Amino acid sequence: MRNWQKWDDNLGRIEKFFIAGMLGVMILMAFLQIVLRNIFSSGISWGDPLVRYLVLWVGFIGASLATKESKHITIEVFSRWLSDRGNQYLKAISNLISALVCSLLVFAGGTFVLNEAQMGGTTFLQIPVWVPQIIIPVTFAFMTLRFSLRFFAELAMIFTSGNQTKHGSPS
Amino acid sequence: MILLAILAAIFLMLIGVPVFVVICGLALYLFFTSGIDLSAIIIEMHRMATTPVLVAIPLFTFSGYLLSESGAPKRLIRLSNAILGWLPGGIAVIALIACAVFTALTGATGLTIIALGGILLPAMTRANYPEAFSLGLLTTSGTLGLLFPPSLPLIIYAIVAGIRIDQLFIAGLLPGILLVVLLSFFSIARAVRADVPKTRFQISEILSALREALWELPLPMVVLGGIYSGQFAVSEAAAITAVYVLFVEVIVYRDIRWKDLPEIMKKSMVLVGAVLIILGAAMGLTNYLIDAEIPMQLLDFFKTHIESKILFLIVLNLFLLAAGCTMGIFSALVVVVPLLTPIGAAYGMDPIHLGIIFLANLEIGASIPPLGINLFIASIRFERPVLRLYWASLPFIAILLIALALITYIPWISLVLLK
Repeated sequence: MRNWQKWDDNLGRIEKFFIAGMLGVMILMAFLQIVLRNIFSSGISWGDPLVRYLVLWVGFIGASLATKESKHITIEVFSRWLSDRGNQYLKAISNLISALVCSLLVFAGGTFVLNEAQMGGTTFLQIPVWVPQIIIPVTFAFMTLRFSLRFFAELAMIFTSGNQTKHGSPS
Repeated sequence: MILLAILAAIFLMLIGVPVFVVICGLALYLFFTSGIDLSAIIIEMHRMATTPVLVAIPLFTFSGYLLSESGAPKRLIRLSNAILGWLPGGIAVIALIACAVFTALTGATGLTIIALGGILLPAMTRANYPEAFSLGLLTTSGTLGLLFPPSLPLIIYAIVAGIRIDQLFIAGLLPGILLVVLLSFFSIARAVRADVPKTRFQISEILSALREALWELPLPMVVLGGIYSGQFAVSEAAAITAVYVLFVEVIVYRDIRWKDLPEIMKKSMVLVGAVLIILGAAMGLTNYLIDAEIPMQLLDFFKTHIESKILFLIVLNLFLLAAGCTMGIFSALVVVVPLLTPIGAAYGMDPIHLGIIFLANLEIGASIPPLGINLFIASIRFERPVLRLYWASLPFIAILLIALALITYIPWISLVLLK
């Protein structure tokens, strides 16, 4: 369990690095294009598709990090009226369902990327179009692992802490 | 069977399964049972995430987070205090303005009460405002400013409904101001009755506060000027805003150090990721619903039971307030908008006006008992029982509902700036 936690943290650091770098490039490239277009009436032809794929990457990596930090948008009505114990069960169930759905999405994403690779389209700078798209199944795989990790952590908590009620939420 | 699946999905949302998981799960189930390849949902996600205008979301969100972590909120409060502090009810009005600006920048995600509540509640208490009044004001202001650009819900509504972001930005200005102004009048009236002391009007303080905030004052122009004049597209305005805010806060004021940037970038992109993935999931589900002609069936139902436009608007308001109260703003946006826009069009509503009505309802719904999210965030932030906040918020909700009626039944307020 502890090893997995470490894996989760390390992955989180790599993701943060990617997000910062890619957002930085996104800002600079989007701004550079405006300057080029308005002052020099020119532009970089691969600039706009690059920015679009950066949004895709930053968005999906952000969603993966949101899983790590439990920042996904939820509605959560029942939890306010339940005991801590009841909430642990609820969280375990919720994480299990999330892991299952995300694993299906890894499969769907994999199919999508394979189809695109077979069609052999290319995007900016002659890069095959499936290369930037691969982030979708990859981040869904991260989310699957993280939801599973959360599920097992909750399960362990339910079985070990018979009367210990308070537990820290993962952050 | 479909109905059963939808009920199961609603149940799962209520027990706290992330919204994107529930929507994806439902879409996967529906695709699977109707023999559509599961990768269709990924195709929709990918198409949505690479829409050119979408780059505005990460750029504006990052700018908002950067501003909120800098000294900008403090400078804004100081400046408005210098300008308005001498008025009866000055601090209350300042609180309203600060909350509205902060919400517009950070996208109505509950940050406003958490970030500003801790400064504003003690300030109002010190100034002798009754506690119930202060609590009510700060709770209901948690989503005030949602109609001001560049708030995230405005952008998302425009994308989901397929209308122009720049027009929605401009249309939101007057209704947003109306909400703030009505609440301000109410606050001033209450402050006069509570005999709240005022600060003295000092021109020197105004000048020095102005000088301090000099670099941030052009921000509304940076965000809106290019859009309004038609010089820049929304995504371009977002890029210019991001560069300007980075320059001002990191290089001019040095409020934010370079090495703090990755953390702020990460924080803001976690929000963007959480929103984009719901948006992508909802696009997949929506396409299925449209293929299954669900909006058309809804429309037939409406058309046979509701004849007049006025009645439709009343039903719309009640429904959306309930949606804002129970589902929260982002979930309601992605799930309800695609179903409702064709119905609104059938009743001859202007799509931009419909958007403003929609967002105003969600904004107010977020403060409405028993489930409005603002009430729970305020309860945690101010350490008061939720029940007390229910009562404290009621007068403010009444004022907001008056404003909502004006916005709903007078399209002119939303549309005049577009002419």
